[in-house]
Amino acid sequence: MAAARPMTIAEKILARAAGRDQVSPGESLPFRPDYMIAYDFPGYTDVMFRQMKDDFGMESLDEPDRYVLFIDHMLTRGTPDEEKMHEVTRNWAAKTGAHLHEGRGIGHQVAAELGYALPGNFLIHFDGHISSLGAFGALGWGVRKDLLEAWITGQIYLDVPATARFDLVGELNEYVDSRDLIHWIIKVNGADSCVNQVMEYGGPGAESLSIGRRQGLCGMAMFAGGVSAIFNPDATSIAFANSVANRPFEPVSSDPDAVYASRTRIDLSSLEPQVVMPGSARSTNTRPVGEVAGVQLQHAYIGSCASGRIEDIRAAAAILKGKRVAAGVHLNVVPTSEQIRRQAESEGLLRVLEDAGAYIGASSCDFCFGYADPLQPGENCISTGVLNISGRMGSTQANIYMGSAYTVAASALAGEIVDPRAIGEFANASS
Amino acid sequence: MPARDTQQTVEEPAVPDTIEGRVAWIFGDDFDIDLVIGVENIKYYDLDKLRPALMKAYDEGFVESVREGDVLVGGHNFGYGHPHYPPLVAMRSVGIKAIVAESFSPGFWRGETYNGMPLIACPGITAAVKRWDQIRVHWAVGKVETPAGILEAARPSERVARILRAGGSYNLLLRERGRRRA
Repeated sequence: MAAARPMTIAEKILARAAGRDQVSPGESLPFRPDYMIAYDFPGYTDVMFRQMKDDFGMESLDEPDRYVLFIDHMLTRGTPDEEKMHEVTRNWAAKTGAHLHEGRGIGHQVAAELGYALPGNFLIHFDGHISSLGAFGALGWGVRKDLLEAWITGQIYLDVPATARFDLVGELNEYVDSRDLIHWIIKVNGADSCVNQVMEYGGPGAESLSIGRRQGLCGMAMFAGGVSAIFNPDATSIAFANSVANRPFEPVSSDPDAVYASRTRIDLSSLEPQVVMPGSARSTNTRPVGEVAGVQLQHAYIGSCASGRIEDIRAAAAILKGKRVAAGVHLNVVPTSEQIRRQAESEGLLRVLEDAGAYIGASSCDFCFGYADPLQPGENCISTGVLNISGRMGSTQANIYMGSAYTVAASALAGEIVDPRAIGEFANASS
Repeated sequence: MPARDTQQTVEEPAVPDTIEGRVAWIFGDDFDIDLVIGVENIKYYDLDKLRPALMKAYDEGFVESVREGDVLVGGHNFGYGHPHYPPLVAMRSVGIKAIVAESFSPGFWRGETYNGMPLIACPGITAAVKRWDQIRVHWAVGKVETPAGILEAARPSERVARILRAGGSYNLLLRERGRRRA
């Protein structure tokens, strides 16, 4: 009998989801996700509800427990159209028994808090930032409109991806974040360096990263070409899973002799803050912060599914404590979930930020995609959001720079893009 | 939708196994597809709005010079960014039938495969063709005929081949599970 082929964690999760002992990269198979997730958005969920009923005769769901809906977009304007769309979602969930979570925060975060993203689970969503759930040893895959295939059939055809392994050693220096790591990877290895692959982070440096930093890192996998990203479960993520799990779970990890498409060793202590120039996260747009320093700002934003976690809010509060955001700069801080907002409040961080002149938004996706407080023509913004294409946060004539919460907070304080490590040089400038 | 119900016996593939056409444009690496219509238009599906905007930033005469059956060629990581659907709605409306690129960004590839557009990864394609060259894309067997020779291309999985022949994932799902036919 042939020995079992060693597998990566992603391959093990997919093998289980395919009902097989093992899978190999390149195989095209139907997989059964543990959870099939969506947020409501016009042209997506409303269309899918209608198609399922009218074209497929689906008035009910055989396994409603596997369907999860979040209302996390389009919450801030209070218009009749907004309310109408959400009402369609509420009605569908009530009729079918699908899970619905409203107003609790950004779904990619709330999914973890509610115990959907347990180690070993396979989850799909039409939105690719579901990859952030890899922080918990789960595999989250953004499948775009193919979510409908899963919602109708209970399974989805995918090609088993190869895995790119990142061996992390050392620890991040002060004012350097996992956000700087993903942009550094893209800059050095290329925006297509992990095309159709899962990005697996491991090693002592990976274990040194907090859960929130792992989420931010995994959630940006698409910009390196990855279909997902994942950490092997460790004591930190297992402890989190035990605190939220409402059902049994089976953690899996990569075999020591698993086969990888590539291996990259990165010393976290060698990294420095990165800034992404307006346009996209491609490698030629990514610069050490020093090369971009001096760009005048009108807006700054800390939030999105790739940031806005307690670590990010602590980072901002530490930089802004006792100071004032520069005159002419509007800083929005949006905790990723209501749970995180409450924690930040209990730690006194929100008061610190408000005293510094920041606006604290209720948790939603709305600032990240320009639905709330849109940028005006000619404005410059520095953002921890996921995307900086022209028009993403409002006017197509505005410029969006991306960086970590440290870089955003320090730049908001200075009124221009600055290296957060140089905080002492201007800390008193606007106090 | 009664018109659709009368076409149940038609099994001609929506996408033929060989696509022959001219290279209508060659894009560079990491190309953001939204740029073909301009980011100010990515939320529109109205062809009266999209067609006049199509490729204006690259070639004012693009819409007039392209004809039915032409194909696009792209560099590495074609479709990078946060792709939206209207750009290829516009490209389809002027007759574009396939995209051959060095490689594709996975999100773009999945989204447009769902919509039934053949997206063929073919290393070496950008060096092998120039604009308006005639090429033959044998996507089902993973070969692309160019004036410079035959290139090996990625072969689609059986599932993806079925999706393309059905004219997209939704049509395939209708055939497999729908109470009406595609």
